[in-house]
Amino acid sequence: MTAKDIFRTKFDVASIVLIPACIGINYIGKLFASALKLPLWLDSIGTCLGACLGGPIIGGICGAANNLIYGLTTGDSITLIYALTSLFIGFFVGIMARAGFMKSFPRSIITALVAGAVAIVISTPLNIVFWGGQTGNVWGDAVFAASQAASLPLWLSSLFDEIIVDVPDKIITLILTFLILKALPDKLTSLYDASDEVERLD
Amino acid sequence: MKSISLYKDNGTWLCRVHPFTKLMYIAAVILIPLFLHTLWAYAVAIALDVAILISGKSLKRARALIIFSFTIIATIFLIKGLFDGDNITPLFSLGSIVFYKEGLLKALRTGCVIINMLLSFSILVLTTKPEDIADEMERHGFSPRLSYVISSVFSIIPQMMGTMDTITDAQRSRGMETEGKLSVRMKAFIPLITPVVTSSLINTRERAIALEVRGFGAKGKRSYLRTWKKHKGDKAITILLIIATFLAFIWKIITWLI
Amino acid sequence: MAYIEIDNLKYRYPKTKKLALDGISIQIEKGSFLGVIGRNGAGKSTLSSAIIGLVPQFYKGAYGGSVIVDGLDASRTPVSELSRKVGLVFQNPFNQLSGAKDTVYDEVCFGMQNFGIPSDEMRRRADAMLEKLGIAQFRDRNPFDLSGGQMQRVAIASILVLQPDVLILDEPTSQLDPAGSEEVFKVVEQLTNDGITVIMIEQKIDKIAKYSDKILLLDDGKMVTYGTPSEVFAESEAHGVIPPAPLRLSRALNIADENNSYPATEEAAVRIMNGKVSFKDVREKERTTSSEEVFRIENLSFHYTEGINVLHSVSLSFDKRPTAIIGQNGAGKTTLAKLMKGLLKPSEGSIFFKGEDTKAKTAAALSSSIGYVFQNPDDQIFKPRVLDEVMFGPVNIGMSKEDAERKAIEALGLVHLENAKNRNPYDLDLHERKMVALASVIAMDTDAIILDEPTIAQDDSGKNLIARIIGELAEKGKLVVSILHDMDLVATAFTRVIAMANGSVIDDGKPEDVFRDESTLMKAGLELPHVASLGRKLGSESVLLTDKDFLESAFIRE
Repeated sequence: MTAKDIFRTKFDVASIVLIPACIGINYIGKLFASALKLPLWLDSIGTCLGACLGGPIIGGICGAANNLIYGLTTGDSITLIYALTSLFIGFFVGIMARAGFMKSFPRSIITALVAGAVAIVISTPLNIVFWGGQTGNVWGDAVFAASQAASLPLWLSSLFDEIIVDVPDKIITLILTFLILKALPDKLTSLYDASDEVERLD
Repeated sequence: MKSISLYKDNGTWLCRVHPFTKLMYIAAVILIPLFLHTLWAYAVAIALDVAILISGKSLKRARALIIFSFTIIATIFLIKGLFDGDNITPLFSLGSIVFYKEGLLKALRTGCVIINMLLSFSILVLTTKPEDIADEMERHGFSPRLSYVISSVFSIIPQMMGTMDTITDAQRSRGMETEGKLSVRMKAFIPLITPVVTSSLINTRERAIALEVRGFGAKGKRSYLRTWKKHKGDKAITILLIIATFLAFIWKIITWLI
Repeated sequence: MAYIEIDNLKYRYPKTKKLALDGISIQIEKGSFLGVIGRNGAGKSTLSSAIIGLVPQFYKGAYGGSVIVDGLDASRTPVSELSRKVGLVFQNPFNQLSGAKDTVYDEVCFGMQNFGIPSDEMRRRADAMLEKLGIAQFRDRNPFDLSGGQMQRVAIASILVLQPDVLILDEPTSQLDPAGSEEVFKVVEQLTNDGITVIMIEQKIDKIAKYSDKILLLDDGKMVTYGTPSEVFAESEAHGVIPPAPLRLSRALNIADENNSYPATEEAAVRIMNGKVSFKDVREKERTTSSEEVFRIENLSFHYTEGINVLHSVSLSFDKRPTAIIGQNGAGKTTLAKLMKGLLKPSEGSIFFKGEDTKAKTAAALSSSIGYVFQNPDDQIFKPRVLDEVMFGPVNIGMSKEDAERKAIEALGLVHLENAKNRNPYDLDLHERKMVALASVIAMDTDAIILDEPTIAQDDSGKNLIARIIGELAEKGKLVVSILHDMDLVATAFTRVIAMANGSVIDDGKPEDVFRDESTLMKAGLELPHVASLGRKLGSESVLLTDKDFLESAFIRE
């Protein structure tokens, strides 16, 4: 598969309609996670699905649009800052999926680790700039406080904090994404197949 | 249908202000203190936010939006005040725990950034209809696809939340427990979320058809049902904000050079 | 040249092997009303998608032959261009709203904006259309807050304002309640007078018979007949479409009109048969009775919001007779069913299941004795394999894996889906997914089963199958309670009918008794089953529920 295949994107109506659905799925994931009192965010399932179906560009758009829309309308303006993180998660998950790393369960774990790494690399500097290094998650911040008390550099404490928060979340998120993708019918996934032509019968 | 948007038309002038003016205000009120880099600039910005919210009769609703950040800000004060790497000057102590001036000042600055941001955004969020932002963007040359994405998120989420309740009922009817130990709740997650996700993805197919047959993909000039007549104040304020931000930027450059 | 010319059209969906359309050739004249009939999977919707170019442009796949609409090649002209000439309205009212507009008025204008129609023209058309379709009072409401019938009329309005030459209605009422369907058919009736070309796909065969100039019968992607209603109905039964009651009955009695064809509509049948047929009194039907009480409901009231009761002090007792609950939307049928299942808790009064008060039990705890099949199968399906989906419930209530699998396969056999057990449920069609959901509850082997609108999306053979399943479950000693708006099925498959209106039970008894009382029907907003209706119009004293009743009672006057 060439780079051109990986980044090929259809901007037809079907892809446009996919984006709000994915943004909605992100929201529902978050809502269910909090209704069931799970210790995870689970707010990027939709972004990952969008990335797997529509490719890296659609994935990135899903991610960025997600944070921008929620930030500008639901009052949760903190999420705006993390639009960058979501964008890159969607983008890289899309690349992984097109490269075949969502085809089996073990492979999707590798995608999860990539997504986790992306989240850490992008979010840590943002955390440092805007929050002095914390994430706002109880467990993560406890680790942050402990490493600060042990006089570790700020960026390292912040990195630990971020790892604790994001890696488990991304692993569960991509496992869920994998299971959902497997359940999707062919007639839906074929809509997003970027390389299809109409065959003539006569 | 319950919307996820916090917009409410309370009849005040703030709801009549053009969304772009509010966006410009947010940009200015966040950037200017950043350029000036002094605490008093944050104090002025926050005071301005609060004044606008009061005159727009929305302060009470804004409070609900910022209150959640207080615990985070408190932990920032705690961790910075106690452990920050630059801590030298003890300010006060509680028993054997010593708080340092440097860390607390950093925490104060971070706290101000957060509060200022939350307040300025709440001005937009509480008094602007999301569909209006989308429509205005489209009318000013942004792609109609972009404005479609924005508007449709607001209809899709309440729909999904409605199905969520039905799904919970349907799975409980088949003997699935949704309460109890963490493992029980974890196991419930997949039967609950898969149907809503799958059906909303499947619905996108019909939604796409519905848009196609109403010419959404049509080329050529589009028309609009309404036009938003900008108040002359909108223009004046926007220019003022741009000038102020620009001056602050110049100030930043000058102080940086000398 | 006809307005629409379809020549040897062939089409196959991507990733499938079978042709969905196979050699269709028809011509549709401007101003005519074409009915398209056939069993589920016959290719009706695919054909309508081909006329507007969605097949093949949107669905891709393999395509042959040609579809020419007003001189344009539908396989190449962009759908957004073709939609200036052809409008499409389909089943699900929710999914055909744009989803981007929060008032009915803006929704109706959405398409016109895309075509760049000037705003004063837009307003003129929208105002006129809202008025015409009787939805002007909703103009500032959120379209998603409307009922199905209202929403569907908004969808039709937003297509008609684009002023297409042809309107395709793809089963526009299949997901609506009776009142909603009537609202839509009123609109359809108006359209027939306007001279717009209409292509309507419908399972409600009496409506097809009433409006169509010509009917196209499809089966297995192929064209069976294309002709006048009486021509088509002469052979439709072999292809899974039961002809309308008036035609069936007049044919059985051999009463034809002057052209030697049998009347397809009630109106025509009454005209021809009146005076020629008399009815003798039918004997009281023998029915199984049951005295064993399964549910007892005492003074049950319920409200979602304090002060607004949805149910008003309902008292009922259920024995093992198959029972249909009928009434309009908002009558309280689903609320009652959910209370019986324990999904809701009574605001006042109590429900006893086999003598035990259910108040303290959760829906999950009751699931081993009371099953509930929801209206929309997509609200429950989550496993990627049909068999696993059907086994989910049995395993939850503590059956061993082996027992669960045995029960699941048995249930799948009952709904005729044993061959689909390894497939992905979402690759099945809606009517099959409904059967999967039904099987997933039958497999739990509960003493009582509650069904919410099981016949939606089913064709004639699906409806017959459901009637058979209800009979078999009753024979096994299970109580079946079903919320239903298909009166023909109520008449044939149930021995007890409960009619509800405004949160109260207004009638309760044998079907012939409930259907006898015209004031009950009025209050519940219901229509007579088609056979009974014809019988009554021809002067029968008794309520004739089935073809058999009718033919036993009717005799030709010499």
